[in-house]
Order: sequence, then structure tokens, then C-alpha cells
Amino acid sequence: MDEPMSLVKGTLDALVLRALTWDTMHGFEITSWIEDRTHGALGIDDSALYQALHRMEERGWLVTEWGVTENNRRARYYSLTRAGRAHLAAETTRWVRYAQIVTAVLTASPRGT
Amino acid sequence: MSFVLPSRARRFFRLALHRRDRLESEVDDEIQFHIAARTDQLVRQGMPPELARVEATRKFGSLGEARASLTYSALRRDRRVRFREKLEAAAQDVRISWRGLRRSPSFLAVAVLCLTLGIGANAAIFSVINGVLLRPLPFAHPEKLVRVWRRGAVPPGIYLLVKAQSRSYDALGGFQDARLVNVTGAGAPSRYSASDVTGNLFEVLGVRAEIGRTLLPGDNNPGRDRIVLLGDAMWRERFGGDPGIVGRTVTIDGVPRTIVGVLPRGFLFPSADVQLWTPALFAPSDPYYWWGRPLRLVGRLASGVSPSRARAEAATVFARARSAFPMRMADDWGSDVDVVSLRESMVGGARSTLLLLFAAVGLVLLIACVNVATLYIDRALEREREIAVRAALGAGRGRIAVQLLSESLLVAGLGAAGGLALAVAGVRILVAMLPPGTPRAAGITVDGRVLAFTLVLAILSGLAFGMLPALRAGRLDVQSSLRKDGRTGDSPRRTSQSRMLVVAQVALAVIIVSAAGLLLKSFWLLRQVDLGFDSSHVIAAEIPLPSFDRDTAARAPTFYDAVLERARSIPGVLIAATTSAVPFGATAFPAAMEVEAHPTPPGGEPAMPIRTTVSPDYFRALGIPLLRGRAFTNADREGVPAVAIVDAAAARRFWPTEDAIGQRIRYVWMHDWITIVGVVGTVKRDSLSGAVQPSLYRPMAQGFGEEMVIVAKTTAGARDGDVTSQLRRAVAAVDPTVPVSDVHALNGLVAASASRTRFSVVLLLIFAAVALLLGATGIYGAMTASVSRRRREIGVRMALGATAESVLRLVLRETARVVVLGMLIGIAGAIASGGLLRGLLFGVGTVDATVLVVVAVLLMLITLLASLPPARRAARIDPLIAIRSE
Repeated sequence: MDEPMSLVKGTLDALVLRALTWDTMHGFEITSWIEDRTHGALGIDDSALYQALHRMEERGWLVTEWGVTENNRRARYYSLTRAGRAHLAAETTRWVRYAQIVTAVLTASPRGT
Repeated sequence: MSFVLPSRARRFFRLALHRRDRLESEVDDEIQFHIAARTDQLVRQGMPPELARVEATRKFGSLGEARASLTYSALRRDRRVRFREKLEAAAQDVRISWRGLRRSPSFLAVAVLCLTLGIGANAAIFSVINGVLLRPLPFAHPEKLVRVWRRGAVPPGIYLLVKAQSRSYDALGGFQDARLVNVTGAGAPSRYSASDVTGNLFEVLGVRAEIGRTLLPGDNNPGRDRIVLLGDAMWRERFGGDPGIVGRTVTIDGVPRTIVGVLPRGFLFPSADVQLWTPALFAPSDPYYWWGRPLRLVGRLASGVSPSRARAEAATVFARARSAFPMRMADDWGSDVDVVSLRESMVGGARSTLLLLFAAVGLVLLIACVNVATLYIDRALEREREIAVRAALGAGRGRIAVQLLSESLLVAGLGAAGGLALAVAGVRILVAMLPPGTPRAAGITVDGRVLAFTLVLAILSGLAFGMLPALRAGRLDVQSSLRKDGRTGDSPRRTSQSRMLVVAQVALAVIIVSAAGLLLKSFWLLRQVDLGFDSSHVIAAEIPLPSFDRDTAARAPTFYDAVLERARSIPGVLIAATTSAVPFGATAFPAAMEVEAHPTPPGGEPAMPIRTTVSPDYFRALGIPLLRGRAFTNADREGVPAVAIVDAAAARRFWPTEDAIGQRIRYVWMHDWITIVGVVGTVKRDSLSGAVQPSLYRPMAQGFGEEMVIVAKTTAGARDGDVTSQLRRAVAAVDPTVPVSDVHALNGLVAASASRTRFSVVLLLIFAAVALLLGATGIYGAMTASVSRRRREIGVRMALGATAESVLRLVLRETARVVVLGMLIGIAGAIASGGLLRGLLFGVGTVDATVLVVVAVLLMLITLLASLPPARRAARIDPLIAIRSE
């Protein structure tokens, strides 16, 4: 297994918001969701994830509620607000454009067409 | 543990600590949950549990850092939420208050009206105080400016000496009192106020010219003094605001002067009317160098010098200066020299009037607050159940108290808004009413400071009348209130509180009404003062001298004789005469004289009669009685022996044992003796309240060629306007360059002299009327509430045989007891605060039995009127209904 890649700055927020698009989740579910999708290729520090969650809560992108898991444990559930959804949409567009530009430059033949 | 916080302190910390703990434990819970979930996942993947837990913790990363950062952000979030909650709670309080108030519109209307009157009166009077007393002078570093010798003035020779010998000032300047001058050339001849000043005056005040330059220190020297500075108003009105004005010439009293500059608009020194500033002449050969036209001194204190140190220095400098006069001065000359701040000296007598009025409006506001508090007591009764229900539903006592307080602050705020509107309107009326000559009246407006004052007043009064109900809510016994089930019984505490408020109201009203009474009596006594002359149907018009060349003295009488000749033929004019100073007009000056029979001892004060020159008919025109000897005749001219007439006061003063007729007197600076040929009645000169001063009259034809005032006694039917315009035509016919500006009915001049008293009387009467009105509504409200609280008791009494009449007496007796107590306290207060009135009263002491009796009777009557309706209502109570309804 390759060494996990370190995260490009700002992408963690987008990934977390994306994870919460369909459903409310607690912190561990969010981590698992991202790990499943990336097959562990991204090195996400758990503590960094929680700090991102709290920061986004402060900004009003997320709201939280204490709930109970299937195993009857008390957990803090996060869900997306309207502002969070808007931020995700903007961030996705930005990221895709960014990736396209960088990809185009990096994969084009050096002489150009 | 030995250290225990006092319970109050613990309670203070409890909430805060608790909240932080809660947030921290929530963060811990979340982290713990995560690690547990991760451990489970690793175990499911086949890791041994102990290892899984270690791995889960490792994978989480820095635990301590995460914990701190998460707790911090949670705290921040929490704080923000709580702030928003508080705001919402406040908004909700206001909403609830407003809804509650709207349910009782009459309470709201009466309370807001009371406060509008109280706060409005305060804001208006404070605007005047702010404008006159508090606003800094419009000069550079005004706190350093001082007046030196408030009651005195010095001739140029002494000014230069004092200036050279004083170390206390950065600069010491001087100015003369304003005098009227003729301005000719460039437009119609007209009269303006001018002041002769020292060249450095503008440096002292720190004022620059708007155009051109100000005066300079050298401008007082002979040869350089024929220049003038214009005021902004005169520059605009006479010269159309010509920006190229500097260098043009204007003729002042016949002397052409070059305009060197224009002063800024706000420059109103030494008084608001002055529009021309000319350099005083510093020439030892000038007759005014040692006497006449003296300068008042104004200085800028050097840094670190206090007024008291400057005063100590002035005492020694002035004592030395006395011996510098070429003539011998009285030994006590300059001994009353003082140094006071310029602002204080300009404000002068206005201070005591304004402070009195401020105290009066303060009382009015207190009465208004007491009134509203009385209303609140009854309102609280109605609301007790509502509050009890709220308390039962879980509202904390503090929360309820805050809610009640927010309601009273809302009421106060509405009152303040109304009061401010009232003040804006009132200030305009006040400024128009101000006695003429009130210093700095131009700057009176409702400014930021007045707004701030009003706001503070509103909060204070809101707290004042809102405290009682709020405190009571804190003590409220929920159980018993709810159990009472809407029954309204009389609570002894409430009754005693409402009685106390009525006592306070009556006491305050007595203080303000008796002050108004004292002033009113003074005013009445002033109007009764015997003037010594008949001011009815007399017109006085200032007729300046034409701008002759220097031989004025000889030609002046000829000019005035010609004017008189024509004036006499005006229809409606009975007698026309001239005088150098009409009573209650421009100030007449005393002259130092020597009485032949009683020479002045060296160093003693010479005889100083007020000197007036008059034409022969003057005494007849003003109805001044000739007591002995003869009046002046046309034969008393230049070239015949000099004669004079004295008034009875002078005859008594200067010749206490002899007959004044035939005695001789002379000016201290002249050689020729003047013989007294007649004695006339004494007249009041410049104030109704002042003591009479001995007077000496000289015939105009033997005078110095002074400017004269024409006095014309008219028939009762003659219209002043007609006579005035005829008079102007008569003067113009003699010399068209002579402006006739000040024309007054003598009656008006006399009345104007009492204007300060009249101003305070009118305002105090208004405030007293407001106080009485508020007091009456207060008493009416309190008695109505008391009767309705005691319905049951009265019903029982009546059922037991009390007659309607005895119930009426019962209620009135209760009122009377309260009112008499209030009256006694009020009289004590009036006597104690009488000192505020000192200086404003005439002919009455600060305690006056008549006034107090009248006030007492007045208040009794008003109380009776206010409590009669509730008493009658009590007497009409039907015992059956009253008892059954409970």
C-alpha cells in the first residue's frame, strides 16, 4: 500500500460537506465514508476532521444534534444547512475547474498542438 | 476544605463554571465516542482489543490540542448564541411592555404626558444653561482667559503701567464698553455700536481676521489709530460682503478711518451688538489718557498661573498704579481688583436666574415622576395577578423585575421623545423671552449635549418611578396573590406608599409655588415703585450730534434748539425737551465734584453726583417736581454765571445742614464754581430696585456739547408712530445727515428694566402651574384608587349606618391629613431653599408670611377640588353592591 497522500488545503471541508449531502452522520461515520470512497488513499487526521467540523459549525454550514447510534451509544450528529449546501456547490465548481486547468497543463504535449 | 466562597459569590460563578464544564464534557464525549467506534472497527478487522484501542488513539492524533481547540470553538459558539438570546429577550421585553401598555391607553397617555412636560421643561431650560453657562467661549484656549477687575476699568495710562508690571499674563488687553457712533459715507447715515480696544486684544483672545488683518499692538499710537475693523454683519449689510473691502474708508463720528479687516461671524466681543472695533488712542497729551473712556481689562494667563495668583499680583500692581495718576485718587481706588474667568464675568447675573429656573424644572420633573409612580402603584395592583401567573409558570423574579423596568424605561423613553419635541419648540419661545442683554443668547440650541442630557434624564426618571413596582415584583408572594382570585383588597403597605407619594408631591409643589409667589410679589412691588417722574405719554429719541468739526461744544446747543423748535410744533406734542441721559435709557455717569462748603479731605471720596445736562423744559416734560428755587431758563447760557439744579437726595447728601440754594460746587478738574439755583424731586435712574443716587442737572446751553435725547410729552390721544415719524422729519429738516435710531416710549424703557424679574416670574408661574396641575392629577389619581380599594370597607361602614355625608368627610379628612403633612414639609423645604432666590427678590425676604399663607390656601383649594370627585363617588357607594361584588 502506498503511503497516504497529504490533503490539499481546503479540500477536507468539501469532502465533509459532500459526505453529509444525503444524510446526517456522526464524526466517525464521516471518516468512514471518506475512507471508503478514497480507499484510505488520503491521510486524514481524526483530530483535524473534528476541528474542521466545529469550524464549519461556527460558520453556520453545519448544525449538530446529540443522538443515539444503532449500538445505543450517544453521538453527535452533523447535518448540512442551506449555507453549507451553497458552499459545497461553489467549492465543487471551483475544484473541478482547478483540476481541469492543472490536468490540462500537466498532460498536454510539451510542444502544444 | 477550609476555603469556602460566600454564597453570593458562589452563585455569581456557578453559571459560568457550569457552562464551561458542560461544553468540555460534551467535547470529551464526542472524542471518546470516536475512539470507541474506531476501536470496534479495528477489532472487527481482527486486531486484539488492547492493541485496537492504542491504535485508535494513535490514529486520532494530538488529543490535547484537539480538545482545547474544540472546547474553544464551542465556547465561542455558545457565547454568540447567548448574546443573540439576550437581544431577543430585550426585544421581547419591549414588545411585551408595549402590548401591556396598549391595553391601558389612559395610563400610557397620562404617564407619557406627565413625563413630556417634566422632561421637556428640563431639556428646554438645560438648552439655555448649556448655551449661556456651559458652552466654551469661541476663543483659542478659552480656559486661560480672565477678566481683571470686574467692577472697574482703567485709563490708557494706567493700562500701560499695569501691563508693564504684571507677570501673570501672556498678554493683557483692554476694551471699552460699546457706544453708539454715527457712520456716514458709503450709504445712508446710520448708527452702529463701536468699541475702542487695545491693539493686542485679538492676540489675547486668539482671534484672526476673516479678511485683512486684526489690530496690532502699535495701532494705539497717535497717527496710526485712524483705522477700523468691521464685524461680519455690518460688512455684509452695509458693504454687500465686498471681498475687496480692505483699504476703503468709512467715516465714524465725522472721523474718516481706513478699514483694515473683517472679523469672523461668531465674534461677539465685548457684546453681541458691537460691529466696529477701533484702536483706543494712547497719547499722553490726550485728555482721555488719564481719565474718561476707561478700558476694561482682559488677559490670557501665562501657563501655570492660577487666577488667584494673578489676583494677588494685581492687588500690589494696582496699589502702585494709584499713585501714578496725575491727580490724587481715592485711597481705596482699585482695592476691589479681582481676576475671574472671562466666561464667568460674561455670564454675570444670568447665572442665578438660570440656576433658579433649573432647580424649578428639576422639581417639576420630580413631581412628574412621583405622579407616574402613583399611577404605577395602582397599575401594579391590576397586574399583580398577571405577574403571579407568570411567576407560577416559571419566570424568575429577576426576569419579571427586568420586564417591569423595561416597561418603565419604555414609558420614560416615550416621554423623553415628547419632551425633546417640546424643548425644540420651547427653546425658540424661551430665546424670544430672554431679557435683553442676556449674554451669549445667540448660541442657544438643542445640541448633542442637550440630547445626551435628555437621554440621561429619561433613564433616571424611568429608574426612579420603575424601581418601586420592580422591587415589589421581586417580593411578590405568588401563592397568596393567586389565591386572592382577583379580589382587590386594600393592602396597608400600598396605601402608605401611595400616601407618601402624595405627601412628596404636595411638598414639591409647595416649594415651587412659593418661589413663584415670592417672585410675583417682588414683581408687583417693583411695579409700585415711585419713579419720581411721570413716564406716561413720553417719547424718548436719541438724536446724535451732526459730524461737526472740532468746535462742537458751541454749536451743539444751537443744533438741538433748532430741533426742539420744530419738535414743539408737531401736532400732539405738548412739551419737547432734551436731556443727556433719559432715566432707564443710556447710563448717566457720575462726575467727581468739590462742594465749596465741605471740601473733600485728602484721599477721601469726592462728591459724585450723577450729572445730566437738560434743556429748560425737561423737568416739566417728565413731571419732575421743582421743590425749591427756580428751574432753568433760556437765560442760562454760556457767558453768564454757571448754574445747576440738584435733586433732593443731592441736597440732603452734600448740604445736610444748610439750604442748598445759593451753595457752590465745581468739577474737580475745573476752576469755575457753579451755583445751585433749584432743588427738584429725586428720580429712579436705571433700575427700579436700585437705590437712588444724588443727581446734578446742568443747563444744556452751558454744557460740553454732548449728544442729547429728545423727550416729547404728547397728548393722551397722540399715536407714538405718528409723532416718531414727524420727529424724524423735524431732525432731517435741521440736518439730513443725522440718523434717528433709538426711539422708545419711556414707559417701555421702564418696563424693560424689570425684564429679568419678569422673565423669571413668567417662567416660574408656568412651572408652578404645571406643578399644580401634575399635583392635582396625582392627588385625584391616588384618592380615586384609594376609594376603589376601600369600596368594601366603605360599603360595610354604610351598611352599619354611616351616612353619605360622613363618608365624604372620611375621605376628605384622609386627604387633608396627607396634604397638610406635605404642606409642612414643603414649607420647610421652601424656607431651606430660599437662598436660591436671593438677588432676584425685591422688597420681600426669602421667607414671606403672606406668600406662604396664599400658597397654603391655594394648595388646600386645589386639593379639595382634586379629591372631591373621588370623595363623592365614595359617598354614592351602594353598600349592597359593594359587599356583594367582592
